[in-house]
Amino acid sequence: MTVEVNPEAIAPSSSAAQDRQAYLAHLLVQRPSMNGLDEVRDRALSIAQERGLPSHRDEDWRFTDLSALYQTSFTAPTSTALALQDIDAFILAEAPVRLVFVNGFFAPDLSATDNLPAGLSVSTLADVGNLVELGQQPGMTEVFTALNTASFADVALLRIAKNQVIEAPIHLLFLTTGDTPIITSPRGLVVAEANSAATLIEEYVAVKADSYFTNAVTEVCLGQNAQLHHHRIQREAKTAFHIGKTAVSQDRDSRYALTSLSLGGQMSRHNPMVVPTAGQTDTTLNGLTLAVDKQVADTHSDLSFTGPHCTAQQLHKCIVDDRARAVFNGKIFVPKLAQQTNASQLSRNLLLSTKARVDTKPQLEIIADDVKCAHGATVSQLDDEEVFYLQSRGLDHNSACDLLVEGFASEIIDQLPIAEQRQTLLNAVLSQIR
Amino acid sequence: MTATVENLVNQPYKYGFVTDIEVETIPRGLSEDVVRLISAKKNEPQFMLDFRLKAYHQWLKMSEPNWPHVHYPPIDYQDITYYSAPKAPEEKKQSLDEVDPVLLETFDKLGIPLSEQKRLSNVAVDAVFDSVSVATTFREDLAKEGVIFCSISEALHDYPELVEKYLGSVVPINDNFFSALNSAVFSDGSFVFIPKGVKCPMELSTYFRINTEGAGQFERTLIIAEEGSQVSYLEGCTAPMFDTNQLHAAVVELVALDDADIKYSTVQNWFAGDENGKGGIYNFVTKRGLCAGKNSKISWTQVETGSAITWKYPSCVLVGDNSVGEFYSVALTNNLQQADTGTKMVHVGKNTRSTIISKGISAGRSQNSYRGLVRMGPKADGSRNYSQCDSMLIGSDAEANTFPYIQVQNNSTKVEHEASTSKIGEDQLFYFAQRGISTEDAVSMMISGFCKDVFNQLPMEFAVEADRLLSLKLEGSVG
Repeated sequence: MTVEVNPEAIAPSSSAAQDRQAYLAHLLVQRPSMNGLDEVRDRALSIAQERGLPSHRDEDWRFTDLSALYQTSFTAPTSTALALQDIDAFILAEAPVRLVFVNGFFAPDLSATDNLPAGLSVSTLADVGNLVELGQQPGMTEVFTALNTASFADVALLRIAKNQVIEAPIHLLFLTTGDTPIITSPRGLVVAEANSAATLIEEYVAVKADSYFTNAVTEVCLGQNAQLHHHRIQREAKTAFHIGKTAVSQDRDSRYALTSLSLGGQMSRHNPMVVPTAGQTDTTLNGLTLAVDKQVADTHSDLSFTGPHCTAQQLHKCIVDDRARAVFNGKIFVPKLAQQTNASQLSRNLLLSTKARVDTKPQLEIIADDVKCAHGATVSQLDDEEVFYLQSRGLDHNSACDLLVEGFASEIIDQLPIAEQRQTLLNAVLSQIR
Repeated sequence: MTATVENLVNQPYKYGFVTDIEVETIPRGLSEDVVRLISAKKNEPQFMLDFRLKAYHQWLKMSEPNWPHVHYPPIDYQDITYYSAPKAPEEKKQSLDEVDPVLLETFDKLGIPLSEQKRLSNVAVDAVFDSVSVATTFREDLAKEGVIFCSISEALHDYPELVEKYLGSVVPINDNFFSALNSAVFSDGSFVFIPKGVKCPMELSTYFRINTEGAGQFERTLIIAEEGSQVSYLEGCTAPMFDTNQLHAAVVELVALDDADIKYSTVQNWFAGDENGKGGIYNFVTKRGLCAGKNSKISWTQVETGSAITWKYPSCVLVGDNSVGEFYSVALTNNLQQADTGTKMVHVGKNTRSTIISKGISAGRSQNSYRGLVRMGPKADGSRNYSQCDSMLIGSDAEANTFPYIQVQNNSTKVEHEASTSKIGEDQLFYFAQRGISTEDAVSMMISGFCKDVFNQLPMEFAVEADRLLSLKLEGSVG
């Protein structure tokens, strides 16, 4: 692994850089102790230190201010026992296999891992000890990802065996709880072997917690002709900080579909990073961001092809209300080897208030000539004519607006596999903007 | 087929000759003394010297931008000649007859005849050779309408109050590294003033020519359109072929007051370097228009075919309510050329509208990036933007990138952006072949179709010229 050294991180040129260095040192102290994986964790530690924390001067963080995060001090997470009724609201009857992590620690009492379907194995670090696949996905040298690798308390490991199709969705629930501000580092690893198929629901929620920092990483490794429907739902507390990475590698002929919902957190960021390592893959990235009050919700996606004949579709939608701000940066990189790529990307943004703000940048970098790539972006408020049309059919103004927002959000939410959860999330979205 | 397309792109650069003329240059390098020397040579008023010195000191504190998607070795700013002019008698030429015939011949050869018999009947030309303006045609005719069209050095003597009022008002001294450098050392350029209510009777045009090896060209253009006036302005540029890279850092400022309309077209054909990327011009230009008044309009049209590296974002700041900004661009890169170009549309006033149409064609091993910004300010109620950027790739080593930044702070605005990348399809070529049209002709037809939206915006004579230029440049690269 090559590590690019950021000179500024080694020799801080300003007091601000020194402050960030000190803050990183503070975060790195808050690591739960753990046995095993020393080599992986130590390497990640040094990467994090070399990289240093970003500021708004870094192009990747230009629109997202981290200073509020840097001003909050966090303590190390502790394993906290919760009762099953505490998480009742999050249990999905239609997803019989459930792995629950509280503050980053595996909670066997809350999980449901009996009666596993054939071909699915779920485990944590205690069961497997050494994990060869861990930390092998792209984007591991990014500072927050390295911080997670150096700090995680446990790993949720899902392995779908060769030629197996798992019908029911698998539920991965990361909970944060507790009164004191803590930093948690949830970590997931999904390995889908050749010709397998599965559906995963990955969820981030809070139980009786408000001020905390979730720094999550999920790695996904798809074998040849494997298929994964990945649903990532971020419903953190309104005052929390959330930075998440979804790092995916796709082997030949594999299909990966991500639906990402970002609803919570005063500052949230999601970095889906997908690298098809061979040709003929199909990638779908769909996202919905809701930002209200003073929330800042950021999505930076990165799709880098390496082989020919791949297809990709991306649709990212933002609903921004009050004084909130949404940021989207979608990068698609098509190198010379990736001939016959067919990729499209669309960023659609709905501004519901006069103080709401959107910064969007769909970005295409193309070196291959035999490709079809298109991207688009739109930003607007609700269309007066559409509202008028609904009013002319007897809806009052507010119901008409609600219906239009519901339609806008449903395009993404409807892709979730469980009807009950779709309704819950749609209600959550609508209740926020009313 | 590959061979024919390649031949299509690789036409020799026909403006690459050097004019052998006695020139007056100052030693290479930049210092406060050089800035004072340039100012003294041009016999400038005190405010101008102060402006230059302020810019120079500002420049010393700044660093070169590194965010563009281009790569080049570091520029040694002490190895550039900052002033070079054909030797001339002390006084300014009163008529064309007094201009050195060698210079007239040079411009003739470039296709810009200045002498009275040959010149274009409906275009007034200001010809700039290295650091000075050698001639401006039709000045008297324009003066009758009250239009001022002269070199900026003359304007500094004849209309200092106008220059002082507007210079640096759109592109401040400290705007960026290259604009600060330009503000310190700019030598010449054009000055246009259209008084209230006047519709400029003819096209205005400036032709820039770099001749001296190792000289940088730093021109400054200032166009002011008063209330209700209209002007169409065209700029063209060429340079000889040298092995070394030359720096061209220009600043263009446009000011449109209430109901004024400025149309600014550029056909840029600086020497692009040879097929191995040796030599060529570094074209680092800051162009910005300010729609200061209500209902004003600024329209940029550019055809970028030359330069080793282009770094250029003609922008519109839409301050006046209902003002309109437009940007139409064709950027062609071939061989090892690099272009990072686009526009900025900053909406400040209410009901402002902007349109961006950008067409990028990259061939050979070149890099062509569109980088654009659309910003809707908090008070830009009811504003609209539509952007479309299309890229065409010719050859599997070419690179096309798009970096559109969209920043919206007002929910009553509407922003739409579309981009696509494609190549000329085999099926399309086959369709033409079926109808008896050769690959070369088919490709050049498809390219002119691809660029039509932009060429339609150019003044008639130049649209034809641009179309021809593009097919010449592309000769041999398609197929």
